[in-house]
Amino acid sequence: MTTRSLALTLVSCLAVMSYAGAVCAQVDLSGSWVLESTQDGREHATGPFPGNFAGIPLNQQGREAGWAYSGDERQELYRQCEAWSMSYLVTGPWGGTFSAVRDHFGNVIAWHLSAPLYDRLPMTIWMDGRPQPPPQAVHTYSGFTTGQWEGDTLMTYTTHLNDSFLERNGPPLSNQATVRLFITRHADELMVLGVIRDPVYLQAPWVKGQDFRLVLAGDANEVPEYCQPAEVVEGLSDGYHTATELPDQIPAAQHYMQQHYGIPLLATQGGAQTMYPEFRKQLTGLYRTRTTYCTQFCCNGRGAQRLCKGID
Amino acid sequence: MSAEQQAPIDLRGYWVSLITQNWRFRMLVPGPGEYADIPINEKAKQFADVWKAAADEAAGKQCEAYGAAVLMRNPERLHISWLDAETLRVDTDAGMQTRLLHFKPAAPAGPAAPGKPGTPGTPAVAMGASLQGFSLARWVMPGGGGFLAAPAAANGGHYGSLQVSTDHLEPGLLRKNGVPYGARTTMSEWWDLRVEPTGDQWLSISTTVRDPEYLQGPYLYDSVFQKEPDGSKWDPEPCSLSF
Repeated sequence: MTTRSLALTLVSCLAVMSYAGAVCAQVDLSGSWVLESTQDGREHATGPFPGNFAGIPLNQQGREAGWAYSGDERQELYRQCEAWSMSYLVTGPWGGTFSAVRDHFGNVIAWHLSAPLYDRLPMTIWMDGRPQPPPQAVHTYSGFTTGQWEGDTLMTYTTHLNDSFLERNGPPLSNQATVRLFITRHADELMVLGVIRDPVYLQAPWVKGQDFRLVLAGDANEVPEYCQPAEVVEGLSDGYHTATELPDQIPAAQHYMQQHYGIPLLATQGGAQTMYPEFRKQLTGLYRTRTTYCTQFCCNGRGAQRLCKGID
Repeated sequence: MSAEQQAPIDLRGYWVSLITQNWRFRMLVPGPGEYADIPINEKAKQFADVWKAAADEAAGKQCEAYGAAVLMRNPERLHISWLDAETLRVDTDAGMQTRLLHFKPAAPAGPAAPGKPGTPGTPAVAMGASLQGFSLARWVMPGGGGFLAAPAAANGGHYGSLQVSTDHLEPGLLRKNGVPYGARTTMSEWWDLRVEPTGDQWLSISTTVRDPEYLQGPYLYDSVFQKEPDGSKWDPEPCSLSF
């Protein structure tokens, strides 16, 4: 950085401080980040169990849309390469690579987050104070995101999202949803907290945290290939027609957790109340811990799979 | 200045956990053999496979699932306050536990031992192991603690982090179906306050548990808490291995 650009950076920092009362952070997010948290392993791998929305503050409309979802939908030819929403950063298994976009003076005007596979599209976090576009502007799976530093934390705000899903088992996310991310780097760890709001499908904010670890050698999030849809997925429809669950099929998804884990519908239907500790009291008498030994998805902790060989 | 005066964020008050991750293992007592998401080793599996809740309850060990290694993971409310100017006190209603986060190393309770007394790494026999162990805390200021660093009163109490290291733990359970952790377990945490323009406040705690006895690698999880206006929903309940 030249003396001139250093001076300009300092002046702009001081201007920001005086304007917003914020600290002009010097945190560098650059690098390749991979998921570190050892939680929600099932959700990250094959996806959540069918019809299990416990802990998601869905309203009735969201619940019904979620129950009507079929995983087969994603296998239709025109949907096979459809991305998930950028909120997948806090619900999915992928990290990403951050790189700075700089102006002629070296100031960071945006952060770019790469796409892992084709599950999540690249995302730009604008840091130059530009306004949100008008509501009728194009909506995408990445949305439109602005960011600002709050101390050492990058706080972002995303609007203009496409209709999508909160999780891979079908709870919906509308194009009116917003996502706020808090991104804090602690040495080689990146803590991300996501607050998802949706006036169409959620009763309350859905808040989730995930941790990522810096990969020092190479790009762990390099996109290996572009998505190529298969002409027809074997065992499904003809590849062109939507395979939506019919109303008389819905109970199968609704009752999966009851049948396999004894968890009552009162819990798996989701809703804001299911996020809070006191909800456990509503399950008294409705749930009994299973006495038979686990038979599926028993040991997916890192390195622990082999312990349950023959079961998992 | 004391730790209380230096605090870059104000964590005091009542917080409720949001169970939006690992719901099945946190809100309910899972059945035998459900060890998903914990990087257990063979020894841990053997221990858990034969573990019986009824036996531990009869032995008065109900609180072994409320040790520091998992306490922030339980569905619960927290009450955070300053015990004194150098000690942050964290009470839970679930299990009625108390964690003390010390900003200054404490003198050992037992006989003198080699090493720096009261710091993580001091042999447990010197300090005395306990369910909540010994937690050493430090503030991590915005801007790396340089001239940009500001205590809570100056920055609105929004920026900065709390780093906590814990050891001297008694053995306990990572899950209420018998997944154990041992006496050599250590734990590190990052506590971050997230304040939205809407006024909503979230406390995120990122925890890494290391146990050379029962884990193949670090067990890392996130706990999220929502700020509550007061303690009207505080609901103390004793430890339980069946609820």
